[in-house]
Amino acid sequence: MEKDLADFAIEHLQKMGASYVEARLDEYTGNSFLMKNGIPQISGFDNVSGLGIRFIINKTLGFLSTNKLEKEKIKNLIEKSVKTTKSASKLNEDILFSQEPIYKENYEVKQKINIQDLSPQEKLKVLFEANKLLKESKIKIPGSFFSLGDNLTTEYIATSEGTRITATVPRVNFMYYITIQENNKTSQRYWDYGASGGFEFVHSWNIPQLLLNEAKACQNNLKNGKKCPKGNLDFVVAPQVTAIMVHESVGHPYEADRILGREAAQAGESFVTNNMLNTKIGSDIVNVVDDPTIENGYGFYKYDNEGVKSRRKYLMKNGIINEFLHNRQTAFEMNTNSNGSSRAVDYDKEPIVRMSNTVLLNGDHKEEELFEDVKLGVYIKNFMEWNIDDKRFNQKYVGAESFLIKNGKIQHPIINPVIEITTPKLWSSIDAIANNTEYHAGNCGKGEPLQAIPVWFGGPSMRLRNIKVL
Amino acid sequence: MSQELAKYLLEKLKKENVDDIVISLSSTDNTLIKFYNNKIATTKTWNSKDLGIFVAIKKNLVSTTLKTFTKEAADSTVKKILAFSKTILPNEEYQGIAQGPFKYKTIQNTYDKKVIDIDPVDYVQKGINIALENNAKRTAGLFETSIADVYLLTSNNIEAQEKGTDLYYSIRALLSKEESGHSVSNSRILNKLNIEKAAEKAAYIANLAKNPQHGIPGKYDVIFDQLAFANIIDNLGYQFSIYNIESGLSCLKNKLNKKIASSKLNLYDDATLPNGINSISFDLEGVPTQKNILIKNGILKTYLHNTSTAKRYKTKTTANAGLISPHPFNLVIDSGNSKDLISEVKNGIYITNVWYTRFQNHNTGQFSTIPRDGIFYIKNGKIDHSIKDIRVSDYILNLMKNIKSLSKDREQIRGWEVETPSFLPQALIKNVNITKSQ
Repeated sequence: MEKDLADFAIEHLQKMGASYVEARLDEYTGNSFLMKNGIPQISGFDNVSGLGIRFIINKTLGFLSTNKLEKEKIKNLIEKSVKTTKSASKLNEDILFSQEPIYKENYEVKQKINIQDLSPQEKLKVLFEANKLLKESKIKIPGSFFSLGDNLTTEYIATSEGTRITATVPRVNFMYYITIQENNKTSQRYWDYGASGGFEFVHSWNIPQLLLNEAKACQNNLKNGKKCPKGNLDFVVAPQVTAIMVHESVGHPYEADRILGREAAQAGESFVTNNMLNTKIGSDIVNVVDDPTIENGYGFYKYDNEGVKSRRKYLMKNGIINEFLHNRQTAFEMNTNSNGSSRAVDYDKEPIVRMSNTVLLNGDHKEEELFEDVKLGVYIKNFMEWNIDDKRFNQKYVGAESFLIKNGKIQHPIINPVIEITTPKLWSSIDAIANNTEYHAGNCGKGEPLQAIPVWFGGPSMRLRNIKVL
Repeated sequence: MSQELAKYLLEKLKKENVDDIVISLSSTDNTLIKFYNNKIATTKTWNSKDLGIFVAIKKNLVSTTLKTFTKEAADSTVKKILAFSKTILPNEEYQGIAQGPFKYKTIQNTYDKKVIDIDPVDYVQKGINIALENNAKRTAGLFETSIADVYLLTSNNIEAQEKGTDLYYSIRALLSKEESGHSVSNSRILNKLNIEKAAEKAAYIANLAKNPQHGIPGKYDVIFDQLAFANIIDNLGYQFSIYNIESGLSCLKNKLNKKIASSKLNLYDDATLPNGINSISFDLEGVPTQKNILIKNGILKTYLHNTSTAKRYKTKTTANAGLISPHPFNLVIDSGNSKDLISEVKNGIYITNVWYTRFQNHNTGQFSTIPRDGIFYIKNGKIDHSIKDIRVSDYILNLMKNIKSLSKDREQIRGWEVETPSFLPQALIKNVNITKSQ
């Protein structure tokens, strides 16, 4: 890794009058494997290196990036970027950062089964085994698509304030999309798996068995599913559904850059305002954290892309809005300190406020206890269609594997139950939380150009009371 | 040096008895200004040079990139490709790449050297001022300029090169969090960029959106403005790819030559569209691109193919490579006759923008999408009042079948959630299912 290029860029920008410079040098190696309907499609390996730099000049923020890692070319790009940024200073927002401690550290995430020690064939074997098991099940599967990937990124962050962080993080990921047919009807399931670590995580997901379980569940729903009853129902949602709810309607609206309007023309703003801190929005038992320090989390990092040390943040504490996600700029604007939430997906993207591993904390029930006093309700184990508005206020989740709950007992499958609800109603309708937390992986989209950044979202099963279903 | 290196790589791989080789070299230079609250948030300036390599060795398909532009790095990458290819398994479906050479036609208005020297800040300032003069209180958006050069070499006697420019302007005007309008202007050349029109439209919608009332669920005739319609067409467009049909990611399976939409709908994929954002004279295997009729008078006419998929289906490539998955370039819809769709609606809704379109089942096309920015209730041919907090929850082919009328005016759209650009009119669609939070 040519760390001297980052140091060179910092020095050159300082000479040109920059009051702050932050250089990020990335080296990425990765492998990817695709399979469609049991047939391997294409396999690939990639090596990518590049330099991304943020700087402040005339109180205006500039960002530049290149994969042409030669001093003269970097210098030319810096000069072009400084020219544009100086021109922008006539219409700029004054950029000021919160003061934060300076760190110097190297760290890496260890792998038990090193992704670089396995041949492509050994990795592809997982997909073949999954396909074989699905085929043996005799379930009619007219379409399947699997994607398996691994990568290792080393990132060097240096700032004009003295920060020097080198982080090496391996990641593995798996995505599937399957279509199940029964008579003339079809059902589909899609999901992502991901972790920061070695290939041991791919083995831990037991991909063949999880796909078989998915196929069986879809088939059961197609064979035996009935319409969802209408009226006021209770819902028990399993960890996968809790996870997406936490991400969409707690994590996103608490991003300070959205609250300040910086994403208004892209991912949108937030119904939450700065003065809503300490406002009650959920029931007393709801506690949500964003925690980058979960070591093998897909959104793990020890220092963010501004060199701020990461920590667990209580976004919602006992149902009260407790803390927003901040970088140094939003922290300064809201008169607080950064909580280490600045992330960029690659060297060529601007670091912005992002989630990491966002989780509803465990309650003290077993999952089965949540069903016990439900007279009429629905248990949603997982989902397909979902969305939320750009203020993060109105959301919809449509169940995939779902069952009727009657007098405390699980009954027949339910076809596509819908929860369409506002954020305050959702989080204040929760009266019981189980202790079965799961972590799920996703690539969260934000920024322009779009950055799909690895995150975990998770939590246990929870019960929502008295939800109106039309 | 870079093109010489591409040729060196091609010859080196040919000597190793590789069956098919595609080398694509691309260079880009971009500048972007992001603004919000009427101020510039940041400038972004970036460039990149990438050399992508695709090889087929006895149907074992490998893709990679070259990061260092030296002969030593190229030699090392060739060795790695050969070693990698021996440890994977064949794609038995693969049928090869196109045999060249081909002649390519120049597409009009895809390169403008004026783009290189403009000061983007002036354009941003102009747009913000226009929106504020039109009573917007806040603005947010971006202005991006790009200059790109693509060079393609294949083992089947193809050498092609094209340079292009691109301008993308996006502005959201707000009076408050719930009173906003969004508009874009996209062009490959400077004199067709219309920042004034976009800024005025965003501010106009925001002003019209004052004091929104809660929408009421039900079935409505809905006008989708171009930005909203483009999102829906984008989500239909990728489903024409034969790869997505085979993967289960399409509602168009087994529907070739069947009526899937209103007779009023004529949809094309056109990589030769003058000034089209994704227009290019050759696809990724070097086949000259063409205008493909996807839907004619409501009837599905073709799926999208590359050479390999076309051979399997005993048809011709539509010049939409993607070496593995064919994809659309620019989705184009014929204009209709209506000068004023609102006047055609008795009880309906006008949606100016949507986002977060997601499918419950691609096979059935069951989906929902959420309107954002100005939404309006229409009564007896006039906008009655502004509404909020609704969702379109329907089947995508129901929407296509229920197209009642299309506007005469068309716009070129590319946006934050519109990946494949489109050139299309507004659409009036009857009986659209509208839901809302309980």
